[in-house]
Amino acid sequence: MNSLLIQGLLNGLILGAIYGLIGLGLNIVYGVLRVVNFAHGEFLVIGAYFAWVLLQYLGINPLLALPISFVVFFGVGYLLYFLLVPRMSKSDDPETSSLLLMFGVSIALSATLLLVFEADSRTLEFAIEPVFLSFGQIILPTIRLVALLISVLLVAALAYFLYRTQVGKALRAIIMNKDAVSIVGINAERLSGVAFGLGIALAAATGVIVALVFPAFSPFMGNDYTLIGFVVIVLGGLGHPIGALIGALLYGVTEQVAAVYFNPSIATILGFSLMIAMIFIRPSGLLGQRQLR
Amino acid sequence: MGSPDFAATASSQHRQDRSVDRLKYRIALGLFAALVAALAAVPLLAANASFAFYLMVWIAMATGMNICVGFTGYLPFGYVVFYGVGAYATGICFKLLGLPIVVALLAAGLAGAVVALLMTPTLRLKGVYFGIVSLGLATIVRLLISNLPESFTGGSMGLILAGANNPTHSYYAMLAVMTLALACVLWLSTSRLGRQLRAIKDDDGAAACIGINVPRVRLKAWLLAAIIPALVGGVEAWYTNVVDPEYSFHVLITAKSIIYGMAGGFGTIIGPVIGAIALVGIDHVIWERFPLINLLLLGMVIILLMLFLPRGVVGSLIKRRPQLRRYIA
Repeated sequence: MNSLLIQGLLNGLILGAIYGLIGLGLNIVYGVLRVVNFAHGEFLVIGAYFAWVLLQYLGINPLLALPISFVVFFGVGYLLYFLLVPRMSKSDDPETSSLLLMFGVSIALSATLLLVFEADSRTLEFAIEPVFLSFGQIILPTIRLVALLISVLLVAALAYFLYRTQVGKALRAIIMNKDAVSIVGINAERLSGVAFGLGIALAAATGVIVALVFPAFSPFMGNDYTLIGFVVIVLGGLGHPIGALIGALLYGVTEQVAAVYFNPSIATILGFSLMIAMIFIRPSGLLGQRQLR
Repeated sequence: MGSPDFAATASSQHRQDRSVDRLKYRIALGLFAALVAALAAVPLLAANASFAFYLMVWIAMATGMNICVGFTGYLPFGYVVFYGVGAYATGICFKLLGLPIVVALLAAGLAGAVVALLMTPTLRLKGVYFGIVSLGLATIVRLLISNLPESFTGGSMGLILAGANNPTHSYYAMLAVMTLALACVLWLSTSRLGRQLRAIKDDDGAAACIGINVPRVRLKAWLLAAIIPALVGGVEAWYTNVVDPEYSFHVLITAKSIIYGMAGGFGTIIGPVIGAIALVGIDHVIWERFPLINLLLLGMVIILLMLFLPRGVVGSLIKRRPQLRRYIA
């Protein structure tokens, strides 16, 4: 019984790390652009299919597909920014408009995936030997540990980028005060493109990890991941990168430990209730600042 | 010496405003009456009224959404929850409790109101937070309903309302629901409540300062916006005889309500109705010719609307030609 609980906790941490990557991507885009990326989950699923296509047709190892997808989708996101977002910021209520716009993008993308790959779910046929590692009574799939390692590395790289490099510092400066950033002569427009590209790239890379960890993926699961991402960033604080990680670990552990004792839907209900409780106790999230609006 | 003159100008200005308001109101009323009359005649003329039925469904849904978005400024991404709860309330009351269908439909409206009341605390939230939380709540309700005992809600198979089938009666029931929705927005456009709501939407702090009870006024609109989709869900369950968790809580129902309303223009009275008529027609044609790319086109329509006509057709028209404000509510 106790080893089950520990297993639940460990799974929670691993999934929490993956959810953290989703929340991080959402929060960078929201923090910098005030755009609520409803299509984040779809880009994640596209990343999973990207890895599948690379493996199926070119024989490229998914672990290699991960950096490739990051670079490719950074480019896609950067271009998409200039196509979609600048027009949006002129509207009466940019935040809500962006939510609706990205909602449209989400529907269009999942429909495109459905047309190209059809509704059957796909599996990434890739395994690492040995398939399971056992520590005493606790058995964990090796691939999950690899996924955890990759997630931690990605987060570390991102933290280095945001806190130690010039561009990253400028991005955080935009999150704090966009007008001031323009005054000191930073090109906010280009940087916003970088932020959007980074968000999409993170989504796609997370998609490759998801394809490795979960047995199957299909065109219509994007929404579920977007929703988890939303829960996570509301828990941690909208627009706050570190908050997203903490929120994700909290959600992942709650969900997985609950899944040990109840059925999966109850686990999801509990996870979502956590978000609602947070909203009433501390509407700005764990690390969010109170918004003056 | 100037002050009596000023008072006279002000009062004549006021009278002029009133007459403009009345003209706009009459035009909208005339349009709606013509629409209701035309839809009432459909079953007498055509054998298959299914298209007209779904047209009424979406006019009612888009109008309900308009009460929420256009009058209060809240964008509920979990709007489908009211529709789904209404459908289930009708199914359970009719099938399991053996109540007459009229009572079952009233129960649907009541269920929508109860869910709306339970969600009232979320009205404290604003903008994006509100949208996300309402989506989360809708997911919770869907999961709860599909996890209730199978004898109660039929589990993932849903409920089949055998014995209730009466397409003509359910058609006119939907006509009544749509008429109710249209009457609500018309009433809101001229009533004190509607003006209070607009004041709150523009600036809730200022509205509170001039003595409007902000939470209570918001709650009234929220309840109206919830009861309409709940009734639509109930009547549609009666029309199709099926209630299942997959369709009753489908995100596309929220999506279409938003798109149709937005295409016409939230905040105007006739906008969402025009948007629904235009897009349901287009949707129908696309669905018949190219069933596969239907969803893709729906997504593209939202993207293009948001990029090029964020105020919707009617909203943009008013913005470009302000003189039309005299005629379009």
